[in-house]
Amino acid sequence: MSEQDARHKIKDFIMAQFLPGEDPAELTDQTPLISGGILDSIATLQLVMFLEENYKVSFEAYEVDKDNLDTLDLIVRLLATKTRL
Amino acid sequence: MNGSGAVAGSGATPIAPGSISFKGLVVIGLQLVLVLLALRQFQIESGAFRTLAAIAFAGWLVHALLPLDWRLPFFAVLSLASIPLVLGTQNALWLIGIGAVLIGACHLPIAVRWRSILLLALGALLIAQRSSWLPVPWSEAIWPILGSMFMFRLIVYFYDLRHDRAPVTPAHAVGYFAMLPNACFPLFPVVDFKTWRRSHYAQDAEATYQRGVDWIARGILHLVLYRYFYYHLTLTPSEVDTPADLLQYLVANFMLYLRVSGLFHLVVGMLHLYGFHLPETHNRYLLASSFTDFWRRINIYWKDFMQKIFYFPAVFKLKRFGTNTAIVLATLWVFVLTWLLHSYQWFWLRGSWLLAWHDALFWTILGVLVVINSLIEIKRGRSRSLGQQAVSWRRVAMTVAKTYGIFWFICVLWSFWTAESIGDWLGMWSALGGAWSPQVLLFPALALLVIVLGSIPQSQPGKVQVARRNQPWHWRERLATLALLVAMIGISFEPVHRHAGPEYATVVHSLRSAHLSRLDNAKLERGYYEGLMSVDRFNSQLWEVYSRKPTNWLDVENAGLKRYVGGFAQTELVPLLISSTRHGQVSTNRWGLRDQHYEQSRPEGAFRAVMLGASSVMGWGVGDDETFEALIEKRFNAQPPVQGFTRFEILNFGIPGYQPPQQLLALERALKFEPQAVLFVATGREQTRSVAYMAEAVAKDLPVPEPALQSLLQRARVSPGMDETEAQRKLTPLGNEILQIVYHRIVERSRAAGAKPVWIFLPQVREGSWQEETPETLRTAQAAGFEIINLDSVYRGHDIATLRLAEWDDHPNRFGHRLVAEMILAKLDAAPQLLFDTPARR
Repeated sequence: MSEQDARHKIKDFIMAQFLPGEDPAELTDQTPLISGGILDSIATLQLVMFLEENYKVSFEAYEVDKDNLDTLDLIVRLLATKTRL
Repeated sequence: MNGSGAVAGSGATPIAPGSISFKGLVVIGLQLVLVLLALRQFQIESGAFRTLAAIAFAGWLVHALLPLDWRLPFFAVLSLASIPLVLGTQNALWLIGIGAVLIGACHLPIAVRWRSILLLALGALLIAQRSSWLPVPWSEAIWPILGSMFMFRLIVYFYDLRHDRAPVTPAHAVGYFAMLPNACFPLFPVVDFKTWRRSHYAQDAEATYQRGVDWIARGILHLVLYRYFYYHLTLTPSEVDTPADLLQYLVANFMLYLRVSGLFHLVVGMLHLYGFHLPETHNRYLLASSFTDFWRRINIYWKDFMQKIFYFPAVFKLKRFGTNTAIVLATLWVFVLTWLLHSYQWFWLRGSWLLAWHDALFWTILGVLVVINSLIEIKRGRSRSLGQQAVSWRRVAMTVAKTYGIFWFICVLWSFWTAESIGDWLGMWSALGGAWSPQVLLFPALALLVIVLGSIPQSQPGKVQVARRNQPWHWRERLATLALLVAMIGISFEPVHRHAGPEYATVVHSLRSAHLSRLDNAKLERGYYEGLMSVDRFNSQLWEVYSRKPTNWLDVENAGLKRYVGGFAQTELVPLLISSTRHGQVSTNRWGLRDQHYEQSRPEGAFRAVMLGASSVMGWGVGDDETFEALIEKRFNAQPPVQGFTRFEILNFGIPGYQPPQQLLALERALKFEPQAVLFVATGREQTRSVAYMAEAVAKDLPVPEPALQSLLQRARVSPGMDETEAQRKLTPLGNEILQIVYHRIVERSRAAGAKPVWIFLPQVREGSWQEETPETLRTAQAAGFEIINLDSVYRGHDIATLRLAEWDDHPNRFGHRLVAEMILAKLDAAPQLLFDTPARR
């Protein structure tokens, strides 16, 4: 799976799970997810579980933070380091 | 360009990271001058803080002009320099030394496991020293600040050292732990190390500085509002008589949290001035629309700390049981730890553990509610939006209804948490059976107004952030801050607030100074009278005073002076005791009097008086021969005030914690010593203390000795075993009557025994609301038939610090006792007939 596919899939998950009914065009690669209040602790964990299940990767607790998960770009970048996307 | 690449200033000219235009510098500088003026006008926090603020603001100017690489070291050095400024050089050196050992242990080139063990061992050693199990060569004064700097931040720091690969410089370590203005504040937000470090000039410098000023101004506003609630609206449970009182109690009690949010805004605002673009510490917590929302909005740094260190690791450990189970268990784990860590925090600040079971119950209830809310959110999702949401009045109404419900629920829960006892809290609810008046609508209406105004949709958070980054200036916030500062400073000037009328002027005047509230003063007085020093919550400002009290400070309750004897009196002094205290020797004779040896029968030719009173009469805080009673007796024998006596004896019947009704029993003991005079020493709050003791007697079912008091209790419809707060509420209207009975009985019994009853009014060293009762108490004493010696001016013109034992102990010191003795002697020299029936010696 390419990085682009992963980006789309993650975006679809976020839109469906946390932003139903919202315009997908509003969610850009740089939209702040944690600092913007879209991902709270529970939502962040749900996202992490989604990534772990779908990409067969595992996260460490210390990786679950704004530095790694605040934007789609960052999420994909972290995923890439774990899966060699 | 700013640190993250956004455009700042006018939007056209790129600027170097951390740089600020001359105009921007001037505008921020002028606002800081206004902030300083506001801090001064409202006497915000301590003098040390205001000095530190002035230094920090001047330091900001230097800092803002330094090359970017020099700024963090400059901040670290300034932060370090703030410690001796507040604590003194010697204390600061100790604190810095201990801190260096702790930080050094984190960086030792050994395995993480061994460093963890070493840190735990060092922590255990410090706990033993904080508990006074081990001696320490440093002053007690450093503990609260040392605790505040390291108790949580060391955990975060060590965690980030393990997991974050970014190098840590000495400037990082020093700046993070010494962090200006921590030296002034024992209660400090748990700033995350990684966030703090990453935030340094992460945004446009001017925007960061401006946000700092905005937050400092907001912090000042919170603190001024806090004072309004603290001084004017807080009630004790026993004062809650009607439903309107109950609602006032609930709201005012919760609103005391404004102090924490105010302080945290000040602190984090100040950090912004040094380039740290940190997240907010509180986010409009009155507008929480669910329990999870409340947890996310109030003390956000704490939530983030718990999430990072405990919650996420717990979820990852437990996720094999399923995500929902892991979330539920981890959330409960976080709340249990929050409870324990509050006690841990209390320990470092106060030196004792705070483990009350209603504390545990509070955190359990809140934890369970947050879990339920989390599960609902997992199932149904939470409303989020990327853009501006369409205004729907139905949506607004729903939000307002939910927020209003949560607000009142939290108020009730908060009152439970901060109550001194469950009995107090439960007893308060009987007020719902009291008189209903239109006033009952006041707080519900005000709360509704605030919530409606706050819930009117503005912009959506995610959208706002993106939009704001592209705005050159935050003119709206800047103008709001300027308007707020100018308004606050304006009304603080006397000609302005006096112009609005005396009532308004009185309120503004009260808001302009930091002092203990009526209730905290009463608590301190209670400590003074009864030796009770329990201030077990952060909601009372008194804890700060007690946080400076050394753990080995001996108070009257714990000095081993008294023994339980049962009955209405309950206690008396232990006979034949010799104890060395930091204030001198305290010894008692075989009769259990703090005095020299006397025979029970009055010696032939001697004049004998007995003196009744509480701890000040007994002489808590001075040596045996330094009590005012001893000084007077000594002077009488050296220079007899009247003729016809071979010697003068004054027997000290003072017993710490004795209240006026208990003096009836002390009098019976004293009359056996054949006195010619009974000196009853009254202090402030004679009525309130009489009521409190009678309520205690009712609650404990003590045998009330006086028939008139027994019938009064029957009339008040109080019954043995009744809750003390409830009994106090019923007896309060009869306070003066109780005192009349006590005073009349003392006069009657004294006269019957051939002794002249003399009432001596001894004020407290601290002026306070206790004075409100004094005129009526004086009239009651006169009506009862006492001779009156009024010492109300005895401490006038003297600084309280020269009169009292310590900030947390208002008993008069040696100098205070000397002043009292001198005034009594002067009054007796002028009018010996107050005490003696024989002619004066000329």
